[in-house]
Amino acid sequence: MSEKKDMNVEMLVENLVERAKELNCVYRAEEILRDYDADLDGVFQQLLEIIPSGWQYSEYCLARIVFEGDTFESEGFEVTPCCQTVDIMVDGKKAGQIEVYYAQSDVLVKQCPFLPEEKKLLGTIADRLSHYITHRRLKTVLSNWKNAVEKIDERRDWTIVIEMVKRSDSSLFLRISRKMLNHLCWIGIPQAREQLQNFGDSRSESEQDMNRPMHKKNMNSLIALSDQTFAIAADNIPHQEILSLVQKWIQEDKLNYLILTLESLATSLGDIQNAITRYYHLDLDKIELSEYVRKNINVLCILRFLTEQLEFINIAKDFVTLSNFYDLVQHIIFPVNSHGKIGGKAAGIFLAHNILRNLGDDEMSAIRIPRTWYISSDTLHHFLYYNDLKEAIEQKYKSIEQVREEYNNLIQIFKNSFFPPEIIKGFALALDDLGDQPIIVRSSSLLEDRIGAAFSGKYKSLFLANQGTREERLAALMDAVAEVYASTFGPDPIEYRRERGLLDFHEEMAIIIQEVVGQRAGRYFFPAFAGVAFSSNEFRWSPRIKREDGLIRLVPGLGTRAVDRLADDYPILIAPGQPGLKVNVTADEQFRYSPRKIDVINLETNQFETKDMDELVRECGRDYPAIEKVVSVYSEGIFTTKSRFNLDFKRDDTVVTFDGLRTGTKFIERMGKILDTLKEKMHGPVDIEFAHNGEYIYLLQCRAQSYTHDVAPTPIPKDINEASIVFSANRYISNGRVPDITHIVYVDPEGYAGLESVEEMRTVGKAVGRLNDILPKRRFILMGPGRWGSRGDIRLGVPITYSDINNTAMLIEVARQKGNYTPDLSFGTHFFQDLVEASIRYLPLYPDDESVEFNERFLRGAHNILEDLLPNFKRLTHVVRVINVPRESDGKVLRVAMNAELDEALAYLSAPSNEAAPQIVQAEETTPQSENHWRWRYRMAEHIAKQLHIERFGVVAIYVFGSTKNANAGPASDIDLLLHVNGDETQKRELTAWLDGWSRCLSEINYLKTGYKTSGLLDVHLVTDQDIADKTSFAIKIGAITDAARLLRKA
Amino acid sequence: MESKAYNAFKMAQSQFDKVADLLDLEQSTRDLLRNPLREYHFSIPIRMDDGSSKVFRGFRVQHNDARGPGKGGIRFHPQETVDTVRALAMWMTWKCAVVNIPLGGGKGGVICDPHNLSMREQEQICRGWIRQISRDIGPLRDVPAPDVMTNAQHMLWMLDEFEAIHGAKYPGAITGKPVGMGGSLGRTEATGYGVIFTVREALREMKIRAENTVASVQGFGNVAQYAIRLYNEMGGTVCCVSSWDQADQTSYAFRKADGIDIDELMAITDRFGGIDKAKARDAGYEVLPGDAWIEQEADILLPCALENQITGENVGRIHKRVKIISEGANGPTTPEADAVIQQRGIFMIPDFLANAGGVTCSYFEQVQSNMNYFWEKGEVLGKLDVKMTSAYLDVSRLARERDIYMRDAAYVISINRVAQACKDRGWV
Repeated sequence: MSEKKDMNVEMLVENLVERAKELNCVYRAEEILRDYDADLDGVFQQLLEIIPSGWQYSEYCLARIVFEGDTFESEGFEVTPCCQTVDIMVDGKKAGQIEVYYAQSDVLVKQCPFLPEEKKLLGTIADRLSHYITHRRLKTVLSNWKNAVEKIDERRDWTIVIEMVKRSDSSLFLRISRKMLNHLCWIGIPQAREQLQNFGDSRSESEQDMNRPMHKKNMNSLIALSDQTFAIAADNIPHQEILSLVQKWIQEDKLNYLILTLESLATSLGDIQNAITRYYHLDLDKIELSEYVRKNINVLCILRFLTEQLEFINIAKDFVTLSNFYDLVQHIIFPVNSHGKIGGKAAGIFLAHNILRNLGDDEMSAIRIPRTWYISSDTLHHFLYYNDLKEAIEQKYKSIEQVREEYNNLIQIFKNSFFPPEIIKGFALALDDLGDQPIIVRSSSLLEDRIGAAFSGKYKSLFLANQGTREERLAALMDAVAEVYASTFGPDPIEYRRERGLLDFHEEMAIIIQEVVGQRAGRYFFPAFAGVAFSSNEFRWSPRIKREDGLIRLVPGLGTRAVDRLADDYPILIAPGQPGLKVNVTADEQFRYSPRKIDVINLETNQFETKDMDELVRECGRDYPAIEKVVSVYSEGIFTTKSRFNLDFKRDDTVVTFDGLRTGTKFIERMGKILDTLKEKMHGPVDIEFAHNGEYIYLLQCRAQSYTHDVAPTPIPKDINEASIVFSANRYISNGRVPDITHIVYVDPEGYAGLESVEEMRTVGKAVGRLNDILPKRRFILMGPGRWGSRGDIRLGVPITYSDINNTAMLIEVARQKGNYTPDLSFGTHFFQDLVEASIRYLPLYPDDESVEFNERFLRGAHNILEDLLPNFKRLTHVVRVINVPRESDGKVLRVAMNAELDEALAYLSAPSNEAAPQIVQAEETTPQSENHWRWRYRMAEHIAKQLHIERFGVVAIYVFGSTKNANAGPASDIDLLLHVNGDETQKRELTAWLDGWSRCLSEINYLKTGYKTSGLLDVHLVTDQDIADKTSFAIKIGAITDAARLLRKA
Repeated sequence: MESKAYNAFKMAQSQFDKVADLLDLEQSTRDLLRNPLREYHFSIPIRMDDGSSKVFRGFRVQHNDARGPGKGGIRFHPQETVDTVRALAMWMTWKCAVVNIPLGGGKGGVICDPHNLSMREQEQICRGWIRQISRDIGPLRDVPAPDVMTNAQHMLWMLDEFEAIHGAKYPGAITGKPVGMGGSLGRTEATGYGVIFTVREALREMKIRAENTVASVQGFGNVAQYAIRLYNEMGGTVCCVSSWDQADQTSYAFRKADGIDIDELMAITDRFGGIDKAKARDAGYEVLPGDAWIEQEADILLPCALENQITGENVGRIHKRVKIISEGANGPTTPEADAVIQQRGIFMIPDFLANAGGVTCSYFEQVQSNMNYFWEKGEVLGKLDVKMTSAYLDVSRLARERDIYMRDAAYVISINRVAQACKDRGWV
């Protein structure tokens, strides 16, 4: 087995060396063929010199080029029987050929050991040479044409142009004349309208209705008609205009081949790449195209490269240009006959970047994206077929346990597979372009980053230091791509897809190879800072922060620490709409909750590393980009920012605060603007990843921010008796409600803390995972200590992954006061996003806070059914408690109401209502649900009207208006009553007192129902006959045409 | 929250009543000292960052200034109540009196949560607070200092506003300023050193040589670190310290029978006083459960961490060798445990005497600021030694002569001093 493996490795190495030689040869050829002004004979001679270097036995290799009758030979050339030949095609015709021979060695000549790759190599060079020659010729033609046009311009005579076109290309002539005719009609020339009838059909309109075929006109008569069209034009529009119109149409016409290429389903990415490149090389993109032509091309390009999602196309078509696509196609790696795309992540960032770039705002166009190469999505399947790994696709239909078991093995199989040669060639090109800057290999699946299914962090992203020899770098890149490919078949994404019904979707994964933004500092490479930003803030640490204020999670160094949930570290959070409000205020808080680690790439060990921030600052603070914006210096209770000059990296007590960034730069403002712009243009809140190298902001990712539909604040009932309350909370509450919970899984914080080994803690995680499968979906909640699912120290929280908890309705993190410790909240991390997307509610609980309820007696006293459900986990009964709620509470269920406006949440036992669990929906701003607030209010208004002593209080009529009448009352709305009175002052006073009593009572009832406090629920307006006559203030509501007050009772 | 704050003032009053009974104070004196001399309540309107305006509620309570200008912190707290402030102001009066510094007691605050305020808004609140009360505070009347959620930055804003209003430099109007901006050297050491000055004197009275003693310390923060340092310099051996472990969410005790090495431990300690337990183990320390510090065979216990650490439950585990407890923390002993300690005859140096080094150093800061001449660290600490030693001697002499518990003796001395000052001034 191991011998076989060794042989494999040897073969692989040998292959790699050969491939590298070939690639080298291609690059050198490319180098030569870049100079379009060079002497053609010289170019051939140079090519002959480098061609042999790409062949296995270079020293015996000789070459010859024959082109249009001329022959060019390498030094010491002789013809032998061992020969490879390939044609040079120009304008679809053979114009010459390249020949390669092995000579001077009898053995070689006899064996003729040409490799199949060498055949391809020769093809590539010939192909490239053909393009080169074509382009040279086109260039000459174009410059001739330009000269001609200029000359014509001088003479101001368009007729010569038309004459030339007519003689050389009659079909183009017809197309142009048709356009001219349409144009003339459009601007309202009567003769043109007549002419149009001649062109089309001479029959009258009534005749046209009949089922008779039209006459066919012969070519000559059509040309004659066209001549007339131009005669009309000459009479009606200035010559200069005709000339420019004709020029424009001729140029637009040149686009036809491009449109045809894009439209045809048969064309491959390669064809399209050629078409766009040709178009670009002809400098045609500088022509001002008609709006419809431009849009059509945009949409066609989006369809081929980015996505077929209509929502996306709708937005993107207005923001991209063909030259954007030109840039893109130059950087796509794809197999022969590819029909792939660049995937969701790549499309998202491409769109976002172009939105910002094409906005015409200097500040926004300064936002950059890193240099990027894309591997087309169908390369994955090409890779699978090439290595005969088709069975990997069936993986998704296996059970999750099986997938999990086989996953590690699968990764190894992938890593030991080979890439098709054209892909390796692409990799090498990419590496050349990116240089020896560190790179990141990221997945960009077609499923990824679709709205409502973010797949955040499900597929792998791998950092490569990209150091060493070219071979080493190439090998590392291939290894990384293989690993990312393998992650498509990992358990987490498969589980995630299964849940969303996306399993049968033909999953293709594109890959992004991107330079890592940053600078070298000492041995390390990293950006000054990086992070993620959201246009909707779902973690509002102060009531002054609104959802629209956005959220930035900032970390020093690589952004990995901002994206992932960390057990032992904290990113800095900033709300761009309220940049002055810090999460941490006191010195102690600022120290404890500041980022203390930094992710970097170590260029010496070629490793991605997590370093201690203090150590890094001491070691290479001087080289750290923009460090004065990142750290503050602590001294005597105050944090101060210092200039780079004044910072003493050896002695200063530095802490990451980003204070310098907040106050000294426009970064926060700019990020806010980016979020706002993208939110506006992409029609919904977005989330972006970014990095900053000390000079520029780089956008790394952009996608729609996910949300739950049920974002309206839920009323908090106040009339629940204490015994029915399970817990309440009053910090970091989001909006929502969780109805009809039948089971509670409670991981006892004390029991958990008492576990002695890490192994036992893992078992708790496993038990939770099993319960997740058994318990009724979305009808149970999980409660337990600390941070769930954190990637670091598992003692801080139950070790689970998303697939272990995906069926729960709610996750509650219990923070028992221990010292001054409070758990980090999940908001803003990938883990939290998973919860948001699955409509899993999240709530942090602080049971030691005196103002909240925490019914520990219920949670610890209820019968534990763990043993019945999972007999194997019997030994955990003191840690994991599973409570059957209806059994413990006479058939009641648990209900959780959450209200961010009141910053209150309440979980209580109540009779079941059989409401459906909330569904996942796309982000949209919703108005608060009306519930039954108006109905109850309306009934009460009717009741008051009925009870009212009309005579005693001198009331003529009583009306209701406003939200109660309009059925849109919310939990805090009042009841607007309008009373028409004619009594004396005493009567009025008594009436007011009587109504005030009602008002207070109703307010109390409303408070008990909803938790909203008001000073009174009735808003009473008294009007007199005089008011009605004068139509003053509220009197106009009576009998109004729109939104009139509704009569409840009349005297 | 409110009911608890209410209790704080009631508690302070009933504590006073007990001592007043013992001293047989006249009713008028009691009436004067049970309540603050003056209270200021005012509104501070602020223009917020978003252009809206908001009004904050501010207080200053001056409990008693018979012995000198008032002294006490300013708290920014959302659940601040005037009763909390009253109780704290009263405690400040006693604390200044027990170390015999010529200052009275005061406390102030603003009802606000700095978590909801930007730095600019906080600056406006600081300046607004001063504008409202600038006539009634100052180096000769009442001197504010940092407290809960306020720091040196807030003090500098306040001082700047005060000086702008009065048109001259008054560095003595505020304490808690950074060194170089009117602050005093020696502040970091002051509290920890003060604890050991009292211990040193107690040992001297007991005729025990410091080099023959062993101490066990709870906590490894600023106070504990400097206390251990000075105690070691005196020749004492610390056998055990406990420290909070952030990662494990529990505390551990680190024991080395022949004495811990403070420098060695400091090298493996984070800035919150958390000792790296793996490295400690490598360095030869026994890592024990956090509460092991209390049961060590030691002569001296120094609780320098949190309140309510020596309780009815664990007081029985105190080793019979223990002779002295000096309270570096505020209120580390529950009343239940206190009774047991008193009954066992362990010598108790109560918190508001033992940890008065801090307030004494604030006093020194004010003195230096007023004369605009700043001492070297050695001079500050030397003067601190003199103050603490004589304060201790007064309390211990009274306790010995009258055979009362040290905690009671400390209260008696301070209340007596304040009452006498009021009487001498002819107030009562």
